[in-house]
Amino acid sequence: MHISEGVLSAPVLITGAVLSLGGLTLGLKRIKNEDIPKVAILSSAFFIASLIHVPIGPTSAHLVLNGLLGMLLGWGAFPSIFVALILQGILFQFGGLTTLGVNTFSMAMPAVLSYYVFKGFLKGGKNIAFLGGFLGGVFSLLLAALFISLALIETERSFTAVAGTLLVMHIPISIIEGIITGFVVVYLKKVKPEALG
Amino acid sequence: MNRFFNPFYYLFLILQISFILCNFAYAHKVSTYAYREGDIVFGECYFVDGSPCKNSKVEVYDSKGKKIQELSTDEKGKYSFKALEKGTIKIVIPAGEGHKAEYVLKGLKEIDTDKDISTTKKEDKSFKPQASINKDEIRQVIDEALDVKLQGLRNELMDIRKQMDRVSLREIIGGIGYIVGVWAIIMLLKRKKDAS
Repeated sequence: MHISEGVLSAPVLITGAVLSLGGLTLGLKRIKNEDIPKVAILSSAFFIASLIHVPIGPTSAHLVLNGLLGMLLGWGAFPSIFVALILQGILFQFGGLTTLGVNTFSMAMPAVLSYYVFKGFLKGGKNIAFLGGFLGGVFSLLLAALFISLALIETERSFTAVAGTLLVMHIPISIIEGIITGFVVVYLKKVKPEALG
Repeated sequence: MNRFFNPFYYLFLILQISFILCNFAYAHKVSTYAYREGDIVFGECYFVDGSPCKNSKVEVYDSKGKKIQELSTDEKGKYSFKALEKGTIKIVIPAGEGHKAEYVLKGLKEIDTDKDISTTKKEDKSFKPQASINKDEIRQVIDEALDVKLQGLRNELMDIRKQMDRVSLREIIGGIGYIVGVWAIIMLLKRKKDAS
């Protein structure tokens, strides 16, 4: 999910950075002061999620959790993912500092979009809230895979091939993420309904 | 009938389907490492969790950035090629989907062994070898002996490199600390702005 350094050309990098900057400023403005501990915890969760490799067949894929961040934070997902990505880049060499903008946008934008599409579900009953969380988790990840393919459009030979591979690769993990997001949403609804905002 | 309403039944079903569906090579970060052994360069390409990077394309560039060779890794993620270029070479592995590994192999210094041997010969004029051994043969024998001895060391070096690429608990805990710290600073700044 993270694009490494030296893969993308300057125009793609700059576009990603500018778009991310917009999301970041909007996100920072939207976050209420009392919500910041929540943002920090979710930022840490995103930071660790990439290290959790789920063995699928002969290889493994890792969690991203951008859907969870989107459903709980809305636009706040932008700064939250950004901070986690900086540290992943510095400490684990996942992604890179130049590709920070592209990576942030391609993971945070789907999260924000699914927040707007599925946030109505969260106000419903337990089952509907689970469904909302599940769909939010699934769509955020698959859309992120699509965004990454878009960023790679000029690097790789054919867009459909990359998009296809990335999407198929992420279907299992997106379902797992959907289930995680669904359970977290239902759990929060039960113990701390105000956290769902 | 009852089990059709049990969410865990579906969870199990979905998990099973997803495990069957996906068998693509995928991991986070790709690393590679190579060394010279005579004219041949040996290398290995692996993912951050230590699993090999199978059947991946390997590109070799010379110091001027010109592509000199293109090959692919085997089932164990290993590759080797004959490098006639003595200067610095760069090995690039484009693993696809935005992943890329690079390794720069330093150039060899030309060691003038011929000169050393000839000077010692001059000094030892009194000593006459009973059988004249070709110095190329000597070098070959030494090379072979060294290769055997160095094999263990090279494997160890590779293991250490793989370990370095693996994520340690220290980094994870440190990272979480940094994240919390960054957000604490943002909170402080926001509070100051709100107060003023």
